Amino acid sequence: MQDVVAAVLITTGTVFFIAGTVGLLRFPDIFCRLHALTKADGLGLALIALGVAFLAATPGAVFRIVLIWFFVAAASATCGHLVARYARRSGAGVRHD
Amino acid sequence: MRATSSKCLNASARVQSLTLAEPQNLPPASAQTVSATGHAAGQVLRHCVLSILVLAVLWGALTGWRADALIFGLPAILLGAMVPFLLPPASGFRLSLRGAIRFALWFAVQSVRGAVDVALRAFSPDMRLRPCFRTYPLNLPLGAPRITFINIITLLPGTLSAEINDDMVTVHMLDAHIELEPELAELETRIRALFALPQPPEHSS
Repeated sequence: MQDVVAAVLITTGTVFFIAGTVGLLRFPDIFCRLHALTKADGLGLALIALGVAFLAATPGAVFRIVLIWFFVAAASATCGHLVARYARRSGAGVRHD
Repeated sequence: MRATSSKCLNASARVQSLTLAEPQNLPPASAQTVSATGHAAGQVLRHCVLSILVLAVLWGALTGWRADALIFGLPAILLGAMVPFLLPPASGFRLSLRGAIRFALWFAVQSVRGAVDVALRAFSPDMRLRPCFRTYPLNLPLGAPRITFINIITLLPGTLSAEINDDMVTVHMLDAHIELEPELAELETRIRALFALPQPPEHSS
């Protein structure tokens, strides 16, 4: 039962990672791409972490997984902001076509 | 016992501020900041003990509570506890447990909404993108509440915090038709509850 739940969670997480990558490739400019990276990949990681936590089943491992999720989530939101700020200030995100 | 010791600390802090401020003939503004930092001297010790405790628990959990790992752990914990002294002083904050639980549940729902929204756009043929920039005034106090606010904006559906200028945040939106203000006002209310901050009386207008 636990294996099934874990498999479903990890598969769904992978779908979100694929969605984030598709968004990264298809979206028109740097800002829209950042939306795809921060949001879709963030949930993808959370679902995969949750699935792995179901499999790991020791409190220590679950705690470590939660820590990893927290630091990655905080880092991806901050990096997204920094990339967007750089793009705005340097004009790198403006398309000239 | 506790009360008297804290009084002693306050008194010594005040004496220190006087001796620092008077001989140099500092203007009143800087004298005030000196007395404020002296005031916080007791808190520094408390913060130090707290960060050592937190880091020790983290280290213990990461190494499976092995005693021999402390050979590396003790120096790492002590160095880690000193890091705040290298950073600019941050204002302290309190967390409300009730606010935190509510915030975590709400945040989980919102991040799923945000991710599903952006995933559907990525897979849909025309992507339905109407990107735009909007600005929103930052009303939360500096420090942890404001940093949390700006980071969570990025994880809400369709919004990305792109730039901060003084007290305004520039938000990039995937869809210009979505109303920005009510979403961010709700986030603000929830962050006030999370950090046990008083709610402003007239925000509904």
